[in-house]
Amino acid sequence: MSGILSIGKSALNAAQVGLTVTGHNIANVNTPGYSRQTVVQAAAQAQSYGFGFIGQGAEVSSVSRVYNDILVGQVVSSQSTSASADTYSTQLSTIDNMLSDASAGINPALNGFFSGVQDLSSNPSDIPTRQSMLSNAQSLVNRLQSTSNRLNEIRDGINTQLSSSTGLVNVYARQIASLNDTIEKTVSAGGDQPNDLLDQRDQIVLELSKLVKTTVVPQGQGSYNIYVGNGLPLVVGASTMSLTTTGSPTDPTRLEVAYQSNGKTTVLSANSLPGGTIGGLLQFRSESLDPAQNQIGQIAVVLASDFNTQHKLGIDLNGNAGGDLFNIPAPVVNTNSNNTGNATVSSVISDAHAITSSDYHLKFDGTNYTITRQSDNKILSNAGLPQTIDGIDFDISSGAMAAGDEFIIRPTHNAATTLSLAITDPRKLAMGTTTAPGDNSNGLLLASLQSQSTINSSSGAGTSYSAAFSQLVNSVGNKTRELKVTAAAEAQVLEQNTAAVQSLSGVNLDEEATNLIRYQQAYQAAGKMMQIASQLFDTLLQLGQ
Amino acid sequence: MRISTNTMYQSGINKITSLQAEQVKLQQQISTGRRIGTPSDDPVASAHALELSYAQGINAKFADTRKTAQLKLNTLESSLTSVTNVLTSAQSSLVGAGNATYTDQERAFIGSELNGSLEMLIGLANTKDASGNYLYSGYQTSTQPFSASTSTAPNGSITTTSATYMGDSNQQSLQVESNRLMAVSVSGDSVFQANGSNDVFTAMGDIVTLLNTPITDDASRTAFNTGLASALTKLQSATDNVLNVRASIGNKLNEIDSLDLSGSDRDLQYSKSLSDLQDLDYASALSDLSKNQTIMEAAQKSFISTTSLSLFKLI
Repeated sequence: MSGILSIGKSALNAAQVGLTVTGHNIANVNTPGYSRQTVVQAAAQAQSYGFGFIGQGAEVSSVSRVYNDILVGQVVSSQSTSASADTYSTQLSTIDNMLSDASAGINPALNGFFSGVQDLSSNPSDIPTRQSMLSNAQSLVNRLQSTSNRLNEIRDGINTQLSSSTGLVNVYARQIASLNDTIEKTVSAGGDQPNDLLDQRDQIVLELSKLVKTTVVPQGQGSYNIYVGNGLPLVVGASTMSLTTTGSPTDPTRLEVAYQSNGKTTVLSANSLPGGTIGGLLQFRSESLDPAQNQIGQIAVVLASDFNTQHKLGIDLNGNAGGDLFNIPAPVVNTNSNNTGNATVSSVISDAHAITSSDYHLKFDGTNYTITRQSDNKILSNAGLPQTIDGIDFDISSGAMAAGDEFIIRPTHNAATTLSLAITDPRKLAMGTTTAPGDNSNGLLLASLQSQSTINSSSGAGTSYSAAFSQLVNSVGNKTRELKVTAAAEAQVLEQNTAAVQSLSGVNLDEEATNLIRYQQAYQAAGKMMQIASQLFDTLLQLGQ
Repeated sequence: MRISTNTMYQSGINKITSLQAEQVKLQQQISTGRRIGTPSDDPVASAHALELSYAQGINAKFADTRKTAQLKLNTLESSLTSVTNVLTSAQSSLVGAGNATYTDQERAFIGSELNGSLEMLIGLANTKDASGNYLYSGYQTSTQPFSASTSTAPNGSITTTSATYMGDSNQQSLQVESNRLMAVSVSGDSVFQANGSNDVFTAMGDIVTLLNTPITDDASRTAFNTGLASALTKLQSATDNVLNVRASIGNKLNEIDSLDLSGSDRDLQYSKSLSDLQDLDYASALSDLSKNQTIMEAAQKSFISTTSLSLFKLI
C-alpha cells in the first residue's frame, strides 16, 4: 500500500519537474541562444516479489538541452562569413554612393578645366579669360582633393571600427574563459551539464564569430578552446590571449590588428585574419579602398605631369618660358619603424606614363635590394640602387640600410590629396610658342591633351583621364554588385543554418502548451492515485473498528 | 519539420523587410526617373554613361569654339568685302584715267582720289576686332600690321607711297572639331602683298605718283600708259588674291555650318544613348511597385494570421 503512495509521489515529482522545465522553456522563448530543455524521465528500479517484478514508479534521470554541435558549428562559421561579406559590402557601398553622383565625379571638373583651356586658345592674351582658366584648374584640383579626402575619412573610420571590434573580441574572450572555468568546476563537481551556462557560452562564441572567424575545439570536462583567424589561440581553458590595434610599422596613421601573447605583440597581415567584421574591414581596405585612392592619384599625377611638360614648351605673356602649372606631390616613402639602418629612401616620378597605381615594397637583405610591386607581388629587381621601375626612381638619399630594413613607397596614394596649383599669376600661362600675344599654338596642344590616352601608355595603348575615371567607377560598381550578391547569399545561408538550429533547439510555444497540459494531467492523475491509496488505507482502518 | 516560435516571427519579419527594401528602391527610381541609382546597380551602363556625358561635354565645347571661329571668320569676311569694294572702285577710276583727253589737272584729281582709296585700304588692313586685337598681323595681335610711308609730290601734296608689314605670317587656328584644326585668321602680307610678289599698296602708291606727274612729251605719255597698264594688272591680281582669300573663308564658314550640323546630330545621339542607359521604364516600374504592394499586403496578412494562432488562447 505504501508502494502505491510512493509511486504516486514519484509520479507527482516527475510531473512537477516537467511543469517547471516547461515553464523555464516558456520563460526563455525570446532568450537569444537558448536551447529548449527536456526532462529525461525513466522507470524506477523494479522490485522482485517472487512472482515477478513490480514497478516502483518514475524517476527523473536528467534535464538536458536539445542541442546539436554540428548544426551550431555551421551557424558559427556562416556567421563570420556573412558578417565579413556584409561589412565589406557596406563599406564599399559608401564609395559606390560617392561615385554615383554624376556632378560630383572627376569628369565634370576635367571637362570644365579643358573648356577653360580651349576658351583661352580662342583669346590667348585676354587676362579675364586667363584668370577663368586658372579658376577652372583650381576647381579640378579641389575636386581631386575632396574625392581623395573622402576616401581618407573612410580609412579613419576603419581605424575606429578596428579598435572597437578588437576591444569587443577581448571582452568576449574573457567572458568565454570565465564561463569555461565555471562550467568545468560544475561538471567535475556533480557530473550534470549546466545547460543554461552552456547556452550562454555558445551565444558569446556566436557574437565573437561576427567579429572574426572563430573555431571552437571542445575539451574534456566541458571547456572550449577558441581559435580566431587562421588558427591563433584566443582562449585556452580559463586563460586568454588578446587582439589589439597598433599603428602600422610603415604608416603610423594606419591601424593594423596585432596579436598579444605572453607579452609579445605581433602585427597580423590582412589575410591572416579572415572573416567577421574585422576580416571584412581589412579586406575592404587593402583590396578596394587603397586601390581606388591610388587610381585617383594616378589620374592626378599623369594629368598634372602631361600638362606641366607641354606648358613648359610654351612662352608666357611676359615672354618667359612656361613653368609648372601643377605642383606634383612626390611619392610617399614610409620607413618601417623597426628598421635598424639609417637610410633615407628617395623616390621620384621620372616617367608619369609608366607609373602604375600600385604601391611598392623595398627590402634589403644585406646584399640585394628587392622591390616588390604590391598589386601583383611581382619582384621587379634585386640589383643595387638606384633603380628605375615603372617610371619611378628609387634611391638612397642618405645613410645606409641594414639587413632586414623595409620601406613602402606609395607614388600615387597621396597625389590627389596634395596636388596644388603652381601658378597664380594669369600672365604666366604659356599659351604660345613665341612671344607674340596672339600665338595660341601651345594652348591648342594643351587642349588636345584631353583626348589623349596617356595613362599607362608606356606599357600599351593607354587610357585617357576620363576613361581612367570611368574604369574606376566601373570596377567599384562591379565589385559592389558582386559583394551585394555574395552578402545576400551568405545571409541566406546563415538564415538557413539558424533556422536548422532553431528547428531543433528553439522553443515552440504550442509545443510547450501541450507539455503544460500533459504534465498537468499527469500531476492530476498522480494526485488521484494518492487519493485512491489513501482511501485504501481508510478501508483497512475501518476494518478494525 | 519542427518550427520554433522564434523562427516564425523571424522569417515573417525577414520577408517583410526585404519587401520594404524593394519598395524603397522602386520608389527612389520612380521619384528620380533614373534606372541606375549607384554604379553597382549597373556597372557597365554607369561607366558607359559617364563616358557619354563626358563626350557630350567635349562635343558641346567644340560647338562653342565653332561659334568663336564663325565670329572671327565673319569679321574677316566683312572687312575683306570692304577691301574688295575699295579695290574695285580704284580699278574703275584707273580705267577712266587712261582717257587721252584728260589734262594733267584732271589726272591729278584722279590721283588724289586714288590716294584716298590707298589710305582707306591701309586703314582696313589695320582693322581691330571686338577685343581690340589687329585682324591682319598674324600672332602679333597687339602690333599694328601696316605702317604707311609718305612722300611729297612735286605739286606739294603729301601722298602715301607704300606700307611696310609689321606682323608675322602666322595664322591663328582653333580646334573646331576633334580632328579639325581650322585657321581662323589671315596674315596681312598674304592678303595685301601676295606674300611679297604683288604689293597692292606699292602698286597704288606708284600709280598715284604717276598720276601726279604731268605729261609733257611722248616719252612721258608712254611711261604713263605703261605704268597705267601695269597698275591695272596689279590691282586686278590683288583683287583676285583678296577674292581667293574670301572664297576660302566662305568655304570655312560652310564647313563650320556642316560641322555644327553633325555636332548637333551627335549631341542628339549622346542624349538618346544616355537616356536609354539611365532612364527608367516607368510602365514596368509602376507595375512592379503595385505588384510588390500586393505581395507585401499578403505577407503582412499571412504573418498576422499565422502568429495569432496559439494553443494558449484555448487553455
